[in-house]
Amino acid sequence: MALNASKTLSGVDYQIPRNVLALLMLAQVVVVLPHVAQLSPWIVGVCLFCGYWRAMVYQGRWAYPPGFVKALLVIAAVAGTALSGKGAFSVETASSLLVLAFALKLIEMKTRRDAYLVIFLSYFVIATEFLFSQSMGVAIYEVLACVMVTAAMIGLNQLQTNVRPLASLRLAGALLGQALPLTLVLFLFFPRIAPLWNVPLASGATSGISDRVTPGDIADLAQSDEIAFRVVFDGAVPQPEDMYWRGVVYNEFSEGTWSEGKPGRRVRSDLLVPEHDRGEAISYRVLQEPTFASYLFALATPVVADRNIELRSNFTLLADNPLMSMMHYDVKSYPDFRRELGQERPRLASMPVGDDNPRVREWAARVGRETGSPSEFADRILDEIRNRFVYTLKPPRLPRENSIDAFWFDTSTGFCSHFAGAFVYMMRAAGYEARMVGGYQGGEQNPISKHVVVRQYDAHAWAEVWTQGSGWVRVDPTAAVAPERIRRGLNAALTEEDRSSLSAFTNARLGGYGGIDELMFMFDSVQHGWNMWVVGYDTDLQMEYLTGLFGERPSAMQIGIAILLGGLGSLAVAGVVLFLRRPARPRDPLVNAFFRFAGAAEARGLVREPWESPMAFVRRVSVHHQLPQNDVDAAIAGLEQQLYAGQPKSTADNGAKARKALLRTLRRLRWRTTLRA
Amino acid sequence: MSAQPQSGQERVKAAPKPRQPEKRGAGGIASQFGSWLDRRIPPEARVLLTQRNIFIFPTRTAVAFAVLLLLLMMGAINYQNSLIYGVAFLLGSLFLVTILHTFRNLSGLTLELLDSRPGYVGDDIEFNLRISRGAGKARHGIQVGWPQSIKQWVEMQDQDVVAVKLFSTGRERGWYNPGRLLVETRYPLGLLRAWTWVDLNARALVYPKPEFTELPDPVQGQRDDGQLVDHQGSDDFSALRDYQPGDPVKHILWRRYARSDDLVLKEYSGFVEPRAWFEYERASGNVEQRLSILTGWVLQAKQRDQEFGLRLPGRVIEPGLGEAHAAIALEALALFGTSD
Repeated sequence: MALNASKTLSGVDYQIPRNVLALLMLAQVVVVLPHVAQLSPWIVGVCLFCGYWRAMVYQGRWAYPPGFVKALLVIAAVAGTALSGKGAFSVETASSLLVLAFALKLIEMKTRRDAYLVIFLSYFVIATEFLFSQSMGVAIYEVLACVMVTAAMIGLNQLQTNVRPLASLRLAGALLGQALPLTLVLFLFFPRIAPLWNVPLASGATSGISDRVTPGDIADLAQSDEIAFRVVFDGAVPQPEDMYWRGVVYNEFSEGTWSEGKPGRRVRSDLLVPEHDRGEAISYRVLQEPTFASYLFALATPVVADRNIELRSNFTLLADNPLMSMMHYDVKSYPDFRRELGQERPRLASMPVGDDNPRVREWAARVGRETGSPSEFADRILDEIRNRFVYTLKPPRLPRENSIDAFWFDTSTGFCSHFAGAFVYMMRAAGYEARMVGGYQGGEQNPISKHVVVRQYDAHAWAEVWTQGSGWVRVDPTAAVAPERIRRGLNAALTEEDRSSLSAFTNARLGGYGGIDELMFMFDSVQHGWNMWVVGYDTDLQMEYLTGLFGERPSAMQIGIAILLGGLGSLAVAGVVLFLRRPARPRDPLVNAFFRFAGAAEARGLVREPWESPMAFVRRVSVHHQLPQNDVDAAIAGLEQQLYAGQPKSTADNGAKARKALLRTLRRLRWRTTLRA
Repeated sequence: MSAQPQSGQERVKAAPKPRQPEKRGAGGIASQFGSWLDRRIPPEARVLLTQRNIFIFPTRTAVAFAVLLLLLMMGAINYQNSLIYGVAFLLGSLFLVTILHTFRNLSGLTLELLDSRPGYVGDDIEFNLRISRGAGKARHGIQVGWPQSIKQWVEMQDQDVVAVKLFSTGRERGWYNPGRLLVETRYPLGLLRAWTWVDLNARALVYPKPEFTELPDPVQGQRDDGQLVDHQGSDDFSALRDYQPGDPVKHILWRRYARSDDLVLKEYSGFVEPRAWFEYERASGNVEQRLSILTGWVLQAKQRDQEFGLRLPGRVIEPGLGEAHAAIALEALALFGTSD
């Protein structure tokens, strides 16, 4: 036991207990760690500096920093963030500021109030991490971080000398465990609300396919085995060579870079894709990882019913807002639908090819005249590619000017975007309508949960050519130079040299090392389930699920009752732990009998004093209530032996006798007092 | 009421005696609250904390926590992020569960006033409490104390019973009742405060503040048996005599023994002063000043082991010696003129 005088809980003389402080600092490290990937190195430096200073204060070597140092640090931090954010206030900027505030608070954390501020900031930083990753691993990590932060909070409410960090951690775990039933019910039932304001903070960095392509970009994507999206097909999964996930259409070319140009207009899908001549449909659900961009991916000629997704006149899908978190959408694709030019025609026709790349333009004009039709001309180009070119992840650098000339006549090696770009350029130079399309090609089917996984290294670029009668037709020049890439994925098309440039993990993923494969598929299945049911649990899925559960659209009343039940569930778990669980202290039957006796005596006004031995107490009670002496003597003798003889086994018989005597005395006591009453 | 001196220590056993309802200002919310509290948690020497007498309410920290939850919900809604929803829900549920934990931290405790130690006006009067938890979980971060006095932290991890010393300043002489005792806890998270106001019938005797002045001259002619000589006293050297077993060893003249092997005792005589009578009339000033002076005299007499008697209007304490006698005299001074 420890008793200290201390003024008040919130008084100025309160000192954060040392081991709570240690726990809190550790929790801060744990909380900030996942953010390090998003932070500029200098912010990490500030964190380390503040942490070091605080550790020195903790050890009593340094003092807290003086006011002007703190002021300088704050100004420097804000200025630094503004500079490295390049003026735009993005999610990264916000997260940087948060982490900086966190680090700076560390060096002036003295009072209980400061500690609480740091704790609440910690919870906030934990939540912010989910803006960057929502994987199951991160979620588990953050739950553990929550346990640490909560443990620090527990320590703040204990006597300073009595804080036991391990016990606090255990209790924090128990508290969060007991909170789980209600959390689950709230998660399932709490109505999901539409965004309050329309434009959330965007992220500075998008991932995956972007709105402009310089040949070589996609080769960079091939370095990454991150998942772009997963697809669950309703029916059979199409062949890999048929899975061209269209994302962005690139119309403009200048200085070696393809860009979207003026984005296609939004069109109602029933106008663009009339119901009557759609043909056979492929139905699937796409679970798109956050890209911080608006592009969505679908097989050719998609139709979606989602109000937040638009179909543009170039037949690509676009989300209303950048994808800050997982998104899922249901698509019906009609591969046989003939896509016409529509309103695109005047724009494409007037699109100048430019006056660079003179050699290629001259070549295209000449060969175009020789062939006479777009399909014949395209075949000539593909023949050329098939015969003269090499497919590689690491092509030589091309000059900014006349890059296609250099590629076509000099280097003759390239990646998908080189081929697609050159192809489209030459088609246009010959006077035909053509465009480049960016997206993903192929995908790997998970044998366990049957969904298709598309990764960043499946990124691809190809071309579309418009021909009279057939509409937009897909032409993939890469298929000419590396047909394996299309049929069996990137791995099949890679050279040894390419492979050595990839990370070991990507190689492992690509190479298929026996048992690891199995494990990876398993892991992916779990992750997929997590994405489907937890990360992707949005308004639609909630409605779907709840309607299934209640058999109809649930009323507010039903939701209220469900949440109430969840709350009761949490309280019941906590209650069982708190009130029902008795200490696991097996008591001797005789000792138990004594406590029953003591309880009865206490109820009749005789309280055992702290200095009173059990024997003395029994004696006093018996004298006071005039209980029969022989039983009392037997009970006292038995108790004495039980408590002090130290050989409970050999005295088991005596113990039983004494217990009986004591219980008889207890009955007598009850009887006496009842009579008297 | 009489104090029960225990082995020289003056301790007042807490008597479970029904107290007269305190005088409270007529009407007013405070007094209404007071009488409601008296009905709800009646004064008793021993109080078991249950849902009947424990109050619980969110703290100011909980308001900040609510703001945090609100911000998290806004983030979750705007970014349509399921996992941020999850964090908000988890923390909200945590709050709910904490209600039970905070309540449980007080519930089942038994508070009992053991005794108090008398003091003087202006002193911190000591009260001894016993808090027991019965079976069940450990208790943490409980604060016990009267408002405006120093609070004590109570933690019960391995022990079932703790003793707590509380102090409260006695401002007036007589029986002092420090009022309702505040027992509160914010454990485990500081988001909720569970508290109770218990009245343990705490009372302690507060003596007048002593004022030390010259002892009054012995009163002549009252009784003529003064000038006692105590041969075993130790004030002044009077004679030498042979040692007899039982004599104090420190009075042996060791120098003599070293020379002659004779054990010779130096004999001292203590002259005890005549019995003093401390009289209310002979102290000067108003009532309280007089009582203070009398208290000072009693204390000095006790210190010098002087026999004294006390004469107050309406009460005479015959001369006597010792701690117990002094305690009776002090109690009479403390209670002088009060209804008790």
